[in-house]
Amino acid sequence: MADNGRIEPSSHYPSAADAGNSITQHGFKITTRKLPILKAEPIEQMTKRLGIAPPEMIFGDNLVSIDHESGWGLQFNTYDALDQVDKTGGSMLQVAHSREWQSTREKKHEGITEVVKPFDWSYSTDYKGTLRSQSPLFEITTTPIPLELLKRPDPILFFDEIILYEDEMADNGITMYSCKIRVMPARLLLLCRFFMRLDNVVLRIRDTRVYVDFGTGEVIREYVAKEEKYEVVRQKLASRGQDVPAQLRDPNNINDLLPIVDKSLERLVIR
Amino acid sequence: MSDLDKAISELRACKIIPEPQVREICHKARELLIEEANVVQVDAPVTICGDIHGQFHDLMELFRVGGDVPDTNYLFMGDFVDRGFYSLESFLLLLCLKVRYPDRITLIRGNHESRQITTVYGFYDECLRKYGSANVWRYCCEVFDYLALGALVLGTSSTLEPSFTDKSQAIEPVDDDVEIEIMNSRNEVTARFPRSRRRLFESDGLNSSPPGTPSKTGPSGTGATSDSGGSHHSGGAVLCVHGGLSPLIDSVDKIRLLDRKQEVPHEGAMCDLLWSDPDEIDSWGLSPRGAGFLFGPEIVKRFNHLNDLSLIARAHQLVMEGFKEMFDSSIVTVWSAPNYCYRCGNVAAILELGEDTSNGGVIARSNGDAGRSAQAFMPNLAPRSGPGRRYRVFEAAPQDPRGMPAKKPVADYFL
Repeated sequence: MADNGRIEPSSHYPSAADAGNSITQHGFKITTRKLPILKAEPIEQMTKRLGIAPPEMIFGDNLVSIDHESGWGLQFNTYDALDQVDKTGGSMLQVAHSREWQSTREKKHEGITEVVKPFDWSYSTDYKGTLRSQSPLFEITTTPIPLELLKRPDPILFFDEIILYEDEMADNGITMYSCKIRVMPARLLLLCRFFMRLDNVVLRIRDTRVYVDFGTGEVIREYVAKEEKYEVVRQKLASRGQDVPAQLRDPNNINDLLPIVDKSLERLVIR
Repeated sequence: MSDLDKAISELRACKIIPEPQVREICHKARELLIEEANVVQVDAPVTICGDIHGQFHDLMELFRVGGDVPDTNYLFMGDFVDRGFYSLESFLLLLCLKVRYPDRITLIRGNHESRQITTVYGFYDECLRKYGSANVWRYCCEVFDYLALGALVLGTSSTLEPSFTDKSQAIEPVDDDVEIEIMNSRNEVTARFPRSRRRLFESDGLNSSPPGTPSKTGPSGTGATSDSGGSHHSGGAVLCVHGGLSPLIDSVDKIRLLDRKQEVPHEGAMCDLLWSDPDEIDSWGLSPRGAGFLFGPEIVKRFNHLNDLSLIARAHQLVMEGFKEMFDSSIVTVWSAPNYCYRCGNVAAILELGEDTSNGGVIARSNGDAGRSAQAFMPNLAPRSGPGRRYRVFEAAPQDPRGMPAKKPVADYFL
């Protein structure tokens, strides 16, 4: 899939009247917008534009953005996250009881074999945010996000948590893209997480972390994708003697049980 | 005050009732439900409700907006449990009301009224947490197996009676030409759509329909005529199911023949009725998920025509506006869980269908019978005139301080 390169952020999507919450620190303006799910008409527009049916809970107006007074900006919005979903059906998953379901169906309804509008209905995305066009580019780096600095109990000046989209996959699990941000006096951390559990099939976590050091203008973006078969994770949890269904609901509980399948580390300095 | 009335008042206060009493009520409910047909016949007037999902305080708001049982005749289209924090209280209250007023409340099965689904999506955990054992969950699941699969609403009116709740005000007569009325939770009319010149707005949850769609002459014997002015007329029969249609079911009678007293199967007609979704496709389609059906406008129009139905009401899918009419108003989705999962910000709706009094209260019993329409189906047939529909739209109840997620997220030092 193409990298999440330079696209004019959200010009193709009408912005809501609500400007959201924001805070400005050292020339960086951090904004979050949290609104209800979309109505029928905007859903229809988005469906046409995306070319796929959006998830059931579609918070199309929600976003997180980090904008610098120099013109640099990085935004996470719902449309662009969904635009990265495979729309061809090439990487389509099937629910656990699909084979059983289809084998009985084939005998009875030979006429109905068409899968309607195939696409990746797990809404798996490798979205890492949308850059403003006049931004300097990220460059590959080996400098990690300074976790020790982030572990310090600095006062949190601004905190928010928003969902871009969520779908119950017709009660076969959950898929969700959510963002969490905390702004401290000297730095900020943004965690955008795609989490997907297809019951009895597979689990995925794809985290994008954005770190900004206000003093130096350094921005680090880390992307880590993890994936494991459901059964493997279930067995690991069971061997720990834990309540498996409850554990599987929270990505934090299983994060360390999924092996890394893809990662990248990028950095830029704003002057 | 009987034990049952006591249980009802406890549950109304969102308190759980003792386990032996749950067992007794479930037993009584089963005895009632076993006598019901797979497709329950319900006479208008009736208020049709969609998914509740354990949002107890919003269910109380629904009763406030729609009227209390037994004053209002209710039909709930399933998905009482899971997701919300009060599945137990919500389902047990509805069940107690069913036992107390069996003719004033109808409960049909949703896909969440199943052992397998409730173990994953919250109801099982909630029973375990609130009672310390899975007994109550088991009693409830036994009731699930006896819930009807659908309901057929007969004796509807094509016109709307004035809203009942606002008795203090002078009753403003509703024009006979009004097909759809939308009211808010303060009993104020927010929109009206006349039958003769239907200009429907998508933002109101109504799918667009060409303006000037004429009301059609109904098949003889149904009471529907092309004369839209003047007196009351029948609004036709309305089939209610949780999910939708099945390629294995071409008549309401075929639903009547199913053996429903079992866990929801993974496939087959019973599964489809609880799981399938309408979609803008030509005929039938497979869901991209690899299981489940999608059905298009022609399927619905053909089914309605062959079964002499004016409308299918279903639930199962979240809609921001609380309801969504599709396919030239041949099918409607009703959603009754406002601010779903305490975070979606959507409104909820209930659908009121009035009673046709033009025939001295005599209902055409043959409605919904298979093969009733002698004439061959013509695909270009205009949809027959539907019942007068009042949608009451309501918002989530004020958030309960106990156990509800805080609106403002709590800051934490995540990494």
